[in-house]
Amino acid sequence: MADAPIPRIPGFDAARAGKHAECDGGGAIAGTRYGAREDFAGTLTGEYVDHGDPPWRWYLLKNLDRRPDGYPGDAVWCLAENLFVDGED
Amino acid sequence: MGRNPLHTKLCDMLGIDFPIIAFTHCKDVVAAVVNAGGFAVLGEAMHTADDIAADIKWIRSRVGDKPFGIDLVLPASAPDADDLATLLSKIPDEHKKFAAYIKEKYNVPDPKGAQALHQWGGLNQDIARKQLDVILEERVPVFVSGLGSPAFMLKAAHERGMKVFGLIGKARQAKREIEAGVDVIIAQGYDAAGHTGPIGTFSIVPEVVALAGDTPVVAAGGVTTGRHLAASICLGAAGVWTGTLWLASRESDNDMIIKEKLVAATADDTVYSKSVSGFAMRVLKCPWTEEWATNAAPRVLNSPYQMLLSSDYIQGANDHRRADLMFEAAGQGVSFIDSMKPAKQIVNDMVEEALSVFEEITGESADA
Repeated sequence: MADAPIPRIPGFDAARAGKHAECDGGGAIAGTRYGAREDFAGTLTGEYVDHGDPPWRWYLLKNLDRRPDGYPGDAVWCLAENLFVDGED
Repeated sequence: MGRNPLHTKLCDMLGIDFPIIAFTHCKDVVAAVVNAGGFAVLGEAMHTADDIAADIKWIRSRVGDKPFGIDLVLPASAPDADDLATLLSKIPDEHKKFAAYIKEKYNVPDPKGAQALHQWGGLNQDIARKQLDVILEERVPVFVSGLGSPAFMLKAAHERGMKVFGLIGKARQAKREIEAGVDVIIAQGYDAAGHTGPIGTFSIVPEVVALAGDTPVVAAGGVTTGRHLAASICLGAAGVWTGTLWLASRESDNDMIIKEKLVAATADDTVYSKSVSGFAMRVLKCPWTEEWATNAAPRVLNSPYQMLLSSDYIQGANDHRRADLMFEAAGQGVSFIDSMKPAKQIVNDMVEEALSVFEEITGESADA
């Protein structure tokens, strides 16, 4: 299995910049075989990154007005398909 | 009774005899359930791409052409990660002292080696993507995304003849994934082991069925008996997703101490706790979860800090096989795990009980 990093292509989605969105997030819990769900809400910066091919798109959410208790920081990357943008759904 | 109520569109899609899906981390359970006429999915969230390739080869050698699945916990959100030293430095002294208090009170032994967590770089998009790529290369019959939406890889999977299942905890996520074209939606309720959605199984399953159209919906969360299977069919599900059910099976590679705990446990012995990882998850109660539930405990930290705190307890307990300390993720259906049966018998018992339930309701007999 190749150890080369997966290509990461950054971009900017002007149409979504500044929009409020909710993220049904979560992921695997490091060191365990378990996963966990986490909910976020905040403002999309418009920045995104596509990981690999086919592109796996992630958007940056900042100024979080909903995040798990104790969540460090004020930003989270959210999987595009787990993102619910106000006015789009 | 007319048609067999257990022969659902999930059976037709997968070519299986019974609409029972086993989710397990043990390859032997996968092989046993598949060969018993059910369907099984191997959880590979913490495995490297090379390990996953080897496991796929192993399973194929045991089940031949019968279909099986691989599950990954695709992330759906990802904070920027610090290095381990930085993370450890951010844990408040109050929390370190409370963890030390538990360690002393219960005489928790030190881990025998370096903590596995400290050698793990975190599941970022890069690692998950490499795991996924091997599943595509191997054309595994079914890929299951246990958390993040698999929409981005549907086309690639379908071009390879694969099916893709999405496991969701909210109806809006189900709607999004169905519209994207997933082949099966697994609606997981709050009764489940490990990470769950906030909605109960009895509520989320029919809610998702109502919006799923022709896409089969599989019920998850607390499903451990034939009566649960029959109820799920009545809710509109095309099958059931079962996890806890297999943890104490004869083939399971779980420690015998854990198996005995599962057999003895009832739903009341599980707890939905953030104390293990900082994420809410359902596990068997243990001294660690109980102490963090007391008024004396500081507020639980978020991930990954709480996991860094608990990892010493977990690994010390497991390395030294301390029955009084060990625990496992378990759903509320654990009440019905009362012996360590072979997987084939579990499948057969579940089918027989479900059919008898339908016979009770209809007054007519049915054969599987």
